[in-house]
Amino acid sequence: MNPNLPYNNAQTVTLAIIAVVLPFAAFVVNFLLLGKSKAAGWVSTLAIVASTVLAANVFFKVWGSHTIHLQQVWFTIGATKVQAGILLNNLSVMLLLLVPVIALPVHIYSTAYMKDDEGYSRYFSYLSLFCFSMLALVVADNLIMLYAFWELVGFSSYLLIGFWFTRQSAVIANKKAFIMNRIGDIGLLSAIIILFTQFGTFDLEALFGPKGLIALSNITNGQWVSASGSIPAVWQYVAFGGIFLAVAAKSAQFPLHTWLPDAMEGPTSVSALIHAATMVAAGVFLLGRVYPMFNDAELTVLAVVGCFTAFMAATIALTQNDLKRILAYSTISQLGFMVMAMGVGAYSSSLFHLATHAFFKCLLFLVAGIVIHQMKHIKDDNHLDIDPQNILHMGGLRKKLPVTFIAALIGGLALVGFPLTSGYLSKDGILIQAFDWSDNRAGILKLIPYVALFTSWLTAFYVARLIVKVFFGEFRLQKMNPHIHIHLGDGGWQYKVPLVFLALCCLFPLFSYSPVFYEDAWLYKGFLQANFFARENLYHVLIPVTVVILSVVVIYGAYVVYVKRNSWSFPQTGFLYRLSYHEWYIDKFYNRVIVAFILWLSKALYWFDKNIIDRFVNELEQVSRNIAGLAAWCDKYIVDGFLHLIANLVAAIGNFARRFQSGKIQYYLFSMLLVLIAVFIFKLIWT
Amino acid sequence: MNLLTLLIFTPVLFGLVILLLPSSLRASFKYITLFATLLQLCFSIYIYLHFQTGAAHAGISNEGQYQFMQKLPWISLDLGTVGKMQIEYFVGIDGISVTLLVMAALVMVVAAIASWEITSNLKGFFALFLLLDMAVMGVFCALDFFLFYTFYELMLLPLYFLIGMWGGARREYAAIKFFLYTLFGSVFMLLVMVGLYLSVKDPVTGSHTFNMIHMMNPANYIDGSVFSVLNHATILGMPARTVGFVILFIAFAIKVPVVPLHTWLPDAHVEAPTPVSIILAGVLLKIGGYGIIRICMGIFPEVALSGAFWLGLLGVISILYGAFNALAQRDLKRMIAYSSVSHMGFVLLGIASNTAEGISGAVLQMVSHGFLSTMLFFLVGVIYGRVHDRDIYNFRGLGTLMPRYTVYVMVAFFASLGLPGFSAFVAEAFTLAGAFKSHSVNGLLPYWMAICGTVGILLSAAYFLWTLQRMFFGTISLKGGEIWKTALTDLNLRETVTLLPLALIALALGIMPALVLGKINDSVLALVAFTQNALGK
Repeated sequence: MNPNLPYNNAQTVTLAIIAVVLPFAAFVVNFLLLGKSKAAGWVSTLAIVASTVLAANVFFKVWGSHTIHLQQVWFTIGATKVQAGILLNNLSVMLLLLVPVIALPVHIYSTAYMKDDEGYSRYFSYLSLFCFSMLALVVADNLIMLYAFWELVGFSSYLLIGFWFTRQSAVIANKKAFIMNRIGDIGLLSAIIILFTQFGTFDLEALFGPKGLIALSNITNGQWVSASGSIPAVWQYVAFGGIFLAVAAKSAQFPLHTWLPDAMEGPTSVSALIHAATMVAAGVFLLGRVYPMFNDAELTVLAVVGCFTAFMAATIALTQNDLKRILAYSTISQLGFMVMAMGVGAYSSSLFHLATHAFFKCLLFLVAGIVIHQMKHIKDDNHLDIDPQNILHMGGLRKKLPVTFIAALIGGLALVGFPLTSGYLSKDGILIQAFDWSDNRAGILKLIPYVALFTSWLTAFYVARLIVKVFFGEFRLQKMNPHIHIHLGDGGWQYKVPLVFLALCCLFPLFSYSPVFYEDAWLYKGFLQANFFARENLYHVLIPVTVVILSVVVIYGAYVVYVKRNSWSFPQTGFLYRLSYHEWYIDKFYNRVIVAFILWLSKALYWFDKNIIDRFVNELEQVSRNIAGLAAWCDKYIVDGFLHLIANLVAAIGNFARRFQSGKIQYYLFSMLLVLIAVFIFKLIWT
Repeated sequence: MNLLTLLIFTPVLFGLVILLLPSSLRASFKYITLFATLLQLCFSIYIYLHFQTGAAHAGISNEGQYQFMQKLPWISLDLGTVGKMQIEYFVGIDGISVTLLVMAALVMVVAAIASWEITSNLKGFFALFLLLDMAVMGVFCALDFFLFYTFYELMLLPLYFLIGMWGGARREYAAIKFFLYTLFGSVFMLLVMVGLYLSVKDPVTGSHTFNMIHMMNPANYIDGSVFSVLNHATILGMPARTVGFVILFIAFAIKVPVVPLHTWLPDAHVEAPTPVSIILAGVLLKIGGYGIIRICMGIFPEVALSGAFWLGLLGVISILYGAFNALAQRDLKRMIAYSSVSHMGFVLLGIASNTAEGISGAVLQMVSHGFLSTMLFFLVGVIYGRVHDRDIYNFRGLGTLMPRYTVYVMVAFFASLGLPGFSAFVAEAFTLAGAFKSHSVNGLLPYWMAICGTVGILLSAAYFLWTLQRMFFGTISLKGGEIWKTALTDLNLRETVTLLPLALIALALGIMPALVLGKINDSVLALVAFTQNALGK
């Protein structure tokens, strides 16, 4: 610890570290010691309670006052000293508090929700691991640690999505989630490497601080010039591309959003905490951390992609029948709003929306969890073959689940952005600022705020459809199977208390004393940057009014369509319906084209390995064998053959000559006679 | 007694004991081997703890800065007018070798424990095992090229027999392939070694020498000799020093292995028994990387730098090619073998960058991969030992059947795919950072290489997660039915005791990379300065 720091700061940092590490301690205890014990739930819950208290303490010390940054050398590589440390500023303490505050009701809820599950303690260990990673992510002070916890968050999400690992769909979903997040990770890693090369440090404050290295760098003559050197400007854009991929993967933005709906295979309480409220917000948090590095063109990309994602996801949510899938697409849509807000310069509203969204989306998922739980009970009790998440089976549940219904209503209204809710404050801020931003733009960019406005009506429609189908009308399952026996209820206090708590947090007083003006919200003010839009033009009145009035119309329309006329839905034919129902065919495209291509490539390369490279080696072997064979043949038949020839020749001559030496006198006389005759004949012929 | 000498020759002493003991005591051989490797591990840890750091102990091209040195005349022949033949027993370590030494010693312990599965001809197996152990340690310590070469070749013999006699169905093919591949590299290495010997003079005695550290100093080369830096001699029309570098590089690249010289590896791994796979992946591959750093970069620094682009390119190709191939495998062991090719590609990329980050990352990657591949092959051995099958498609739902085993598999897989918190992450991240930085610092590698390298990290997630999903998750479904179900018991005590330290080390190195980086940093900086200087001349 740095002795120069004031005592108070050192103490604050210690508190923050304890708040971060407590869930990890819970993880270790659960994982190593508790085995199958039911105590695991309380260990994790106690840890998160303590974290919440400590985080609140840290929050009130740091919020709006000053930045605390404490670090020490982690390791040295070459001439670079890599530091490990804690950076507490408004952004990090807000999330440091938000995460445990959302996690706490989820923990309590989970103790009841998961109580009959075999993997109860495993569930809580994973949940604690997640909380630890997320908390550490928000306080990390350098890019290496940020990346490390960024990936750990992804890893714990992997574990939780695949929590029921014997289910095929769950393990395919978690693999997909991890791999798509990995695409973002390598983007982030590339960006980190580029920033490190350019600035020689990983320190977030040194890089992105008010007078940081990023602020001092500039692009001149196609070179990105920093204090320590320069690289071609294109790498600045590559770095942005990397960050964008990372954000798109974690915050489920187009084109990397398809993992999030599948991630709903995890327990619903997990979806509430991780895949709605906290982890998916990490991308937006990252944008907030590295915000100073973006230039105007890059911000525009963010605005366009965010707006498109918001719109696309909202259109998909219109037609889905799976309760959790609707909420998942709604999450993607809202995250799109946040990313768009970052792009249009509504930095403060983006983070504000992140916070408000966390509460109402978590609430809606917990509601969904209760509904699904009840449906599953009916399914198990009556041995029905139904999907407990399908909203077509539900209806009229408001009388049987009153607390759940009211919670859903509040959450839904906040999501739509009705006055008196927190969603109204944060979302209208984004819309207004988008209009302000588009005033100075030309061409297609002018459309962005209108698309966003339209998306918010779509939001009103799908939320209305969801709530109406689940809670109004008559219970369709009972209508189809009149003999089933049903007993439903809101459940015990572990269910009700979190719902009530979160529902209260969805109302305006938590964020602002004024229910009308978002500029008065303390959270908004905390992130205000120098160049914010003042409240000066007509948009500030017109937009909220338009949103609200049209939303009311849309909601009433949905109510009429689904309840009064009691028709099941709009006609289910036509291109637009199919496009929406099949989620724009994006996932199918990925599977059939990209995944198939990668697999084909890997097979092709393996074929190449086996049949070209290895074949070459084997051919080489064959060739040397053949050469060796030839040499052996030569050796045997030519070199040795010549020797044998000589030897045989000598032997033949010897054999021939031997016959003359038989030792019999007659032969000697006979041969002498023969020689004499031959000599005479020779002489006669010769002469 | 010099500690390094003790470290090198301890195993062979125990090997002799095993040879002398009657075969009726064969049950004790594995304990003797384990004891020998444990003893060696203690020595290596002692060395690690007493290893001095600081710029004054950097080593590399400075003979005086090496530690735990021992130098004895070994073969000294008076050749009359030609001079004196000077071969020394010269061992010593610097930052580059010390961490690899500890890693190798630990891998040997694990390999010894994995040898429990060997049932036939125990005397031969353990004697060869210990001989191999000695050779491996010798390679990391030798500073005399002749001594290095002796140890280097000495590794081949036991490995050939270990694969060829105790291996799987196609063991003879694999063994001969491995043997010829490696021999092909090292035969030419011999020629370069002799050429270097004839080119270099010991500045003190004035005779030719095999001393590697003398070979690193351009002043020690005789004027007009073939490898002299100033002379620009040619071999077959190519600059002699380039030829020398390429030949040495090929020899070590086969060991690493670098694509396209890698095809011995999958065969050798698949056919080798588990302990030999462990040694192959854990230690043997690192000798390739170590050789490139110590010998190729040390003796031919200017050639290494001018060819850095090609080295980096081969590194990137290995990363991607190995990863794609791993994705196509259905034999678990083959998949891991190809993943080794991919992970060792990072080593080459890091070395090629010639930045402190890159080389440190490469050394850390070697240490980390040593532990992780050991763990991976041990884990494959567990399942193969139970049912004699390792086809990924023949298993499903092992997570329910063998929960503790699955935890270790997940640790090994996620550590290998570079999950932060484990060693491979820091290694790969800094290798890539070094590779990217290279263009700005020394202009050796283009920027895109590092970016391509990151794709390897993505692909590693794909093949490991696919395997996890396919083999370990889902409902139980086994090719062998009920028989397999009873045979597939969870980890026993011996296996847990082996795996736990490996997992903990991988974790410790990920959280405290300074354990390795702290020891190697000075040497890496000295190496970078040394090579950069050589280019300047």
